[in-house]
Amino acid sequence: MSAYGEFATIMCEERFLVEGLSNMGYHVEVSSQGAALVGYQGDERPEKAHVIIRRAHLDSASNDIGFARGTDGRFRAILSEYDRSIGYSDQWLGKVQQHYKESQTLAVAKAKGYIFRGKEVVQTPNGPQIRLQFVAR
Amino acid sequence: MQQKTITVVIDQNGDSSVDLEGFAGQGCEKALKDFQGEDRVKLQRRKAAFYSHISDLRDQRLKSGS
Repeated sequence: MSAYGEFATIMCEERFLVEGLSNMGYHVEVSSQGAALVGYQGDERPEKAHVIIRRAHLDSASNDIGFARGTDGRFRAILSEYDRSIGYSDQWLGKVQQHYKESQTLAVAKAKGYIFRGKEVVQTPNGPQIRLQFVAR
Repeated sequence: MQQKTITVVIDQNGDSSVDLEGFAGQGCEKALKDFQGEDRVKLQRRKAAFYSHISDLRDQRLKSGS
């Protein structure tokens, strides 16, 4: 018997978001209560986030980038228009989700007893795809 | 016995597809659920191999007269 499924990733686990961003090379700050984001002039902004990339690790004119956990448990990105315009766009957010999903898949597979057989990054016209292969015991 | 393989493809938007081969019965549903996690289902289907498996079983029953 064989089956096929397609799923839309929902980012709701902090550890996979932190791991995914770290794998992308970002230094990440975590605040369980939520910490204020800081703007490019050093001004504290009204928005708070639970997972933060501080502006010191971004472009010199960047604001902090935050991921705030909503009441539904999902993380949502808080990004300024400026940062969106210099590359932290929807495409970048897609890459964050891709790394999140990779971390989550590897961790869940290990916890459930599946055996990891390999990873392959395939370049497609739409961007890189990550292919992970497992076997069941 | 056929090896049970799972291939997960994560696209550039972070959405994923899970392809199962060689699974039988409830193990198939469980494996799909394991890899779905908290994600929202966009599409889910049994592949042609599933239906040929059903067809094989029916043919066997017809031949044996059961």
